[in-house]
Amino acid sequence: MDILYLLIPLSAVLVLGVVVVFAWAIHHGQFDDVEHEGQRLLSEEPDAVDEGQGSRPGARQE
Amino acid sequence: MVPPAAPRLRGADPTASGREGFAAGVAVDEPEEAAKFTRWETDGAGQRVGVSSLQLAGMHCAACVGLIEQALRSVDGVVDARVNPGSRLATVRWRAARTRPSALIAAVQGAGYGAVPDIALEARALRRRELREVLWRLFVSAFLSMQVMMLATPAYVAQPDDLSADLARLLHWGQWVLSVPVLGFAGMPFLRGAWRSVRARRIGMDVPVGLGIAVAFLASTASTFDPDGIFGHEVYFDSLTMFLAFLWLGRWLELKARHRAAEALEATIDAMPLTATRVGADGQVDVVSIHRLRVGDRVRVPAGAGVPADGPLHSAQAHLSEAMLTGESTPVQRRRGEVLLAGSLNAGAPFEMVVERLGADTRHEAIVALMRETLSQRPAAARLADRWAGPFLWAVLALAVLAVAWWSALDPSRAVGVAVSVLIVTCPCALSLATPATLVASAGGLARRGVLLRRLEALEAMAAARHVCLDKTGTLTQDRLRWSDTTLAPDAGACGVSSGLQALGLAASLARWSHHPASQALVRAVGAEGAAATWSNVVEVPGAGVEGFDPLGRRWRLGAAPWAGGADRAPARVVLGCDGLAVAAFGLQEQLREDAAQVVTALRSEGLEVALLSGDEPRRASDLASQLGIDRAHGGLDPAGKQAVLRGIQASGAGVVMVGDGINDAPVLAAADVSLAMGHAALAARQGADAVVLGERLAGVVDLRRTARRTLRIMRQNLAWAVAYNASCVPLAMAGLLPPWAAGLGMAASSLLVILHAQRAGDAPVS
Repeated sequence: MDILYLLIPLSAVLVLGVVVVFAWAIHHGQFDDVEHEGQRLLSEEPDAVDEGQGSRPGARQE
Repeated sequence: MVPPAAPRLRGADPTASGREGFAAGVAVDEPEEAAKFTRWETDGAGQRVGVSSLQLAGMHCAACVGLIEQALRSVDGVVDARVNPGSRLATVRWRAARTRPSALIAAVQGAGYGAVPDIALEARALRRRELREVLWRLFVSAFLSMQVMMLATPAYVAQPDDLSADLARLLHWGQWVLSVPVLGFAGMPFLRGAWRSVRARRIGMDVPVGLGIAVAFLASTASTFDPDGIFGHEVYFDSLTMFLAFLWLGRWLELKARHRAAEALEATIDAMPLTATRVGADGQVDVVSIHRLRVGDRVRVPAGAGVPADGPLHSAQAHLSEAMLTGESTPVQRRRGEVLLAGSLNAGAPFEMVVERLGADTRHEAIVALMRETLSQRPAAARLADRWAGPFLWAVLALAVLAVAWWSALDPSRAVGVAVSVLIVTCPCALSLATPATLVASAGGLARRGVLLRRLEALEAMAAARHVCLDKTGTLTQDRLRWSDTTLAPDAGACGVSSGLQALGLAASLARWSHHPASQALVRAVGAEGAAATWSNVVEVPGAGVEGFDPLGRRWRLGAAPWAGGADRAPARVVLGCDGLAVAAFGLQEQLREDAAQVVTALRSEGLEVALLSGDEPRRASDLASQLGIDRAHGGLDPAGKQAVLRGIQASGAGVVMVGDGINDAPVLAAADVSLAMGHAALAARQGADAVVLGERLAGVVDLRRTARRTLRIMRQNLAWAVAYNASCVPLAMAGLLPPWAAGLGMAASSLLVILHAQRAGDAPVS
């Protein structure tokens, strides 16, 4: 059972890491509009997920 | 063009934005208008790039997104366009040197959709910040409380000798590490709130909550690092974090409900800037934003449009509907030199006027200012739970002191530990969830049935109200006239008219050429299948009526009595005349809403005294009141007069509900305990209202009353349950018999029960 003395502190640190990741996600708008992201699938041309991350960067400018 | 007084409901008239699109579109390009929905950036090449936000209308499927984006991107100068189907917003980046906002709007309209500038940009950004903040706090507390619970479980399930003292301390340490962020991010707002209300000497719900949080954290921290100290060896980190998670869950639900209402209302605000047609000295005409008008300008007001400023009439005559400003339902006639009021509608032929007073100086703005002033004076309604907070806090503190005194005599070493567990077990988790959870469920149900609540607290006042005041024009009646009867004149036969129906058909076919409300009432009376007579040389004579010639060359006139033909009659009647002979007269009435009588009866059976407040003539107000069985009618009231009548009722101590729609109702809405605006109401009225009834259904008022009473009943049951739970746990804690796991379990179970029970409030009330 000695391994618990390592695992408990480790899990606490890990959990805090998850919280930090979530803080980044929430403050970068990942949860702003959760309902309608699914509709993107149905649009004719696949949209870029984020600005500057388009699959075909040149294609959107005419 | 949209008059200041009557923001149009989008979708009600799909052709309107197209028809007026050009005139309003030009004004969009003016810098001060563009700034309302555009951010400015500079790109790599040093060129100015505008990032504009447009509200879209007419989107019904995902494919529309692509079509609109394509239309926008094909405009020369557009860098990028992105449409969000959820919020129906288009974000367009465009080069200032190569295009302008009106071109973007025209492109969307060309693709078959509607677009208006999104002036709610700032409000939306604010809402997003709020939601992110609450979601973040909810996540921190909920996620970490799960982890804390995992570390707390071994101590609860272990047999006495299973857990070594070292391991128990390590588990406590782990819980402490995970609880610190919860306290910092999720607990701080409550502690700050508690501190503020203690300093202001007003005990709100934050005080017992903050006290519970602070005591639980400090005592648990002390026993983590000093298990043999006076605080004992029990830790309450799991209860503490779960408690905060429940609280934030309640806040998050509440915020979502509030935002949904705000978004739905925003969607109904037409954001096109108001324009005016200015006539230059040389007779040249140009369309400008009303902000660019100057005193002394001459302005042309087309038929059906709003008057942009106060000022004297320049043309010979004009017919205006001032219903939104005064409540007077029939259009009034003004002659040259008489002052017109901003916000009234041109009900007749186009006319020209001179701008005398603008913006803040107009009558319209004066009424809005009166509303704002009243709103700012309204005391914040104390929430039911906040009224319980004070007595609750003192009771808890007294019990804790009692426990300390009792145990000091019995076993001094346990005195502090027991006092702490009393304070923690009474931490009002279910008590503070009872109100918001019920209000949110009830607001959600109301929104599904077409009543948007802007202030959740209004439900409490609604349930307690004893009087309801109704506005007449636009609230009890529809905002248009209705044909009521036809009287055939003795000379009718001479003109070949043999029946009232035939006369009505003729009149309606002539009336189709006019925008006057009376004409439109006649057109509606016969419907689309009315006889289509052929008229030639039709002219609308301002202030008189319509004139046209039939195939036989006879001159027919429809309008006021002496002009159209025959002797003078009651002014409310419209006369059809042929070559100077009266043929028939038509009576026109205000059209009551279909459910008006039913709603008045239902409101009375709900125990409310109904009164009618109207700006219209006292006689017409009392006629309508007796027709509907309303006890009291006050007519001829201006906005301040309505407020005075309402304050008079309030002075007797009874709560008053006000239902209205016009700008003239805005101040009285702001003064009422609960205010409801109809969906088509003026922007100012909706801004001052606690709830908006959508869909022109007056029955929403009754629904709100029934739902409010039910909500309050459920809320009281929830509060009673929460108090009963606390009351039953306190003796156990005082006896030193309540272990932390039992306290946590009880708290979770009672909170869940309260939330589930609150869901009942969302169902439609049974009449």
